[in-house]
Amino acid sequence: MELSINGRIYKVEVEEHMPLLWVLRDELNLTGTKYGCGVASCGSCTVHLDGVAVRTCTLPASASIGKEITTVEGISRDGKISAIQRAWIAHQVPQCGYCQSGMIMAAEALLREKPDPTDEDIDQAITNICRCGTYQRVRAAIHTAAKDDEDVSPVIG
Amino acid sequence: MAKDNKERSTLKKWSRRAFIGVGGLAGVGLVAGVGGYMYMKSAVRKYSGYGLGDGNTMNAWITIAPDNSITLAIPRAEMGQGVYTSLPQLVAEELEVEVAALKVVHPQPESPYSNTFILTQEVPNIYKSYTVMETMYSFLPIVATGGSTSVADAWYNLRYAGATAREALIQVAANRWNVDPQNCRAENGHVINTGNQERFTYGELAEDAATIEIKELPKLKDRKDFKVIGKPVQRLDVVEKIDGSAEFGLDVRLDGMLYAVVKHPSTIGGKILSIRNEDRIMGMRGVKKIFISEYGPAIVIADNTWRASMAAKALDLEEDGVNKELSTTTIQTKIEQLLNEDPIEVRIDEGDVDAAMSADGGTLLEARYDVPYLAHATMEPMNCTVLVDEGRCECWVGHQASSVVHNLLREATGVKKKNIHIHTTYLGGGFGRRAEPDFVRFAGSAAKEMPGVPVQTFFTREEDMQNDMYRPMASCVLKAKVNPAGELEAFDSMSVLQSTAHNSLMRIMPSMATPPEKDETTVEGIEDMVYSMKNRRVSFGNLELPIQVGFWRSVGFSQNGFFAESFMDECAHSAGVDPYLFRKSKLKDHPRFEAVLDKVAEMSNWSDKGGRHLGIALIKSFGSIVGEVAELRQIGEKEFKLDKVYCAVDCGNYVNPDIIEAQIQGGVVFGLTAALYGEITWANGAVQQMNFPQYEMVRMNVCPEIEVEIMEVDELPGGIGEPGTPPIAPALTNAIFTATGQRVRSLPLVKYGYKFV
Ligand code: FES
Ligand code: FES
Repeated sequence: MELSINGRIYKVEVEEHMPLLWVLRDELNLTGTKYGCGVASCGSCTVHLDGVAVRTCTLPASASIGKEITTVEGISRDGKISAIQRAWIAHQVPQCGYCQSGMIMAAEALLREKPDPTDEDIDQAITNICRCGTYQRVRAAIHTAAKDDEDVSPVIG
Repeated sequence: MAKDNKERSTLKKWSRRAFIGVGGLAGVGLVAGVGGYMYMKSAVRKYSGYGLGDGNTMNAWITIAPDNSITLAIPRAEMGQGVYTSLPQLVAEELEVEVAALKVVHPQPESPYSNTFILTQEVPNIYKSYTVMETMYSFLPIVATGGSTSVADAWYNLRYAGATAREALIQVAANRWNVDPQNCRAENGHVINTGNQERFTYGELAEDAATIEIKELPKLKDRKDFKVIGKPVQRLDVVEKIDGSAEFGLDVRLDGMLYAVVKHPSTIGGKILSIRNEDRIMGMRGVKKIFISEYGPAIVIADNTWRASMAAKALDLEEDGVNKELSTTTIQTKIEQLLNEDPIEVRIDEGDVDAAMSADGGTLLEARYDVPYLAHATMEPMNCTVLVDEGRCECWVGHQASSVVHNLLREATGVKKKNIHIHTTYLGGGFGRRAEPDFVRFAGSAAKEMPGVPVQTFFTREEDMQNDMYRPMASCVLKAKVNPAGELEAFDSMSVLQSTAHNSLMRIMPSMATPPEKDETTVEGIEDMVYSMKNRRVSFGNLELPIQVGFWRSVGFSQNGFFAESFMDECAHSAGVDPYLFRKSKLKDHPRFEAVLDKVAEMSNWSDKGGRHLGIALIKSFGSIVGEVAELRQIGEKEFKLDKVYCAVDCGNYVNPDIIEAQIQGGVVFGLTAALYGEITWANGAVQQMNFPQYEMVRMNVCPEIEVEIMEVDELPGGIGEPGTPPIAPALTNAIFTATGQRVRSLPLVKYGYKFV
């Protein structure tokens, strides 16, 4: 099947029902997207399908044919990191970092839908698990990114 | 640590360098000794330099290349606690370089990198003298990350590593200028001639500096002169962790690599005898091999993780020794028995507890507390990648103890230690789980089945959750006599649980395993309470079960902090004294504790509660004192919103306040998840929870705001990864008591009808 990922076309010979997660990770070596549960519970495997956040551990790869897939590797454009990524640095969000690709993809999708989300919007949209407990900084970083006028410099360091 | 393909599979071209000694050591007095001890002592100073990068190795930790790039060997695992930033800060302070310019590599498990503090609890200094025990532990070596020890262990060694390298660089520059080193200073990667302002970069000096010995150990900076230590330096790993390039064990990708999925026996103590449907499984797409590992599980190797998982799921296994007896109910019965028997150990016995309890006057309190088994549930499930080829072995793993990995691979693959090379990746959470040997052994046995082919061995979430080394289930009966003045006349506790240190060390390092009765983790947090008490007894009854228990973030403090600090609250309320003032009145001899308690009371505006329900707890663990106040809002009869948690932290000298804030916040969330939801139960010899839907976590909507303040204390550094966890459960349940008058003595809260939004 042919998949369009981060603006590139990839050809893969896989079972139709192989979850997109494993096509990305094992067939294409796009390992930024993580496995955490395999049952759509933790959000580690979140990518965008035509701009909408989806959990790929339960999504058959064939269901993404003809759609534009964006992974964490694809959110920086022209060598420039996104407002969410800038805010993530400013707030020093990641600890172990394993859940962060999924968190960032969920946050990117939220901001696209709601450019200035309330705390309630964040509670509703960000249901990912972070075992390290970075939630408070994730929330703060989303608010910062919402106010980003493309020119935020890190607050620390 | 991002993928660097040049550094990929290096077996073929790998040649091990000759061992070299720690630079700058010569001329520094070492403890005199003879024979074997002298041999060990000289061995402790040696390292291979392998993997430290191209350039001039100044000492075991610092390599400086002619292009001025500086590589630091950081031998502690980065599992989120920030050790790849805080340890470089220690070096940078003395080396006079920008932290942001440093590159971190993870060295091989060699002697200079030992973590002796983890065993001695003394801050070591390789540049002055090692005690006999420190020398022994280094010689073994024990290169491990755990017990919140990394900063304390490195406090002198890494600062002296930076200082001695700096002095050597200054010496070389002074020689070239033909001036006294006194007339030179180091600044931002340069040595400057203070007379004429000429300068050399470190890169220009390093080759010569690597060969000279400095004669005198330099004096370390005073706290007041710190420019890097104590500052919120940006994490060195942050950029890789926002663009998907950070490499965790599971992200390792090698040419021709295969993927192995582990299937454990279906019940505890079970043994897999055969695979009944081997032909069918071998016929599934992508499956290359199925075998029963000598370490127990069946392992399916395929060309893709998902295909291997599907095949593992379809396995029809013949098993022996299937044990359907074990269940949470049978364990509870055993606990009841042991609570009524004599303890295996009375760890503290001060004064005459029985006489004080039975004397007239005062109020007698007795309460029974219970907590369940808990899983670590690291976000990244267990995995390990190994290549065995022609008498060599290469391994990629996120593990907390590279020296343990070294031993395990020797055992599992038969390859000689000097031919085993370990790449320590980032860890997607550790929390104690990644100190265990199981997944490394399995990976070693899988790789041995596939010589010449790298194999990534992996646990699905279900295998990970059902085959953990759990925080033990524990019960504790506490008694106290409180006199009319609100003083503790007597305190008595009897705990029943499995011995974590015994159980876990028997797997990890049998030679270091303590017998259960000597295991301090069983009653830590109770036996070390500092509140003044006139008579005191702390006892332990050893529960023996085939269940594996292990070190879980904050270990014994995770349950004992809840027992002790809830019971203190019970004592305060029975005496009719405010719980903050009750504690404060018993800390006159412990000013650091009292200061933390006062600070957290002040932060939470304890004296003016308004409509807020507040609960307080104070626990010292891993060298740091943490006070927490939970601020609770009642929504329904048993429904709450935890609005805020206030934390005051005394961890002595601190290195990176921003990372400390993050660790305390993370520690609180970890403890809160356990308090609200955490419970692993057993039925028919197996764990009932399989995945997050049955083992829920605190998520964004439930997570409180967590405010952290660090005390200014010029003492040796304490730990920071774990101490945030223990106080949250008692702070929360103490707040529930003020809200409802209901005393929570069993966790998790959701099991008893409490709801959190
Ligand atoms: S791995 Fe997909 S939601 Fe957890
Ligand atoms: S940063 Fe470790 S799981 Fe979120």
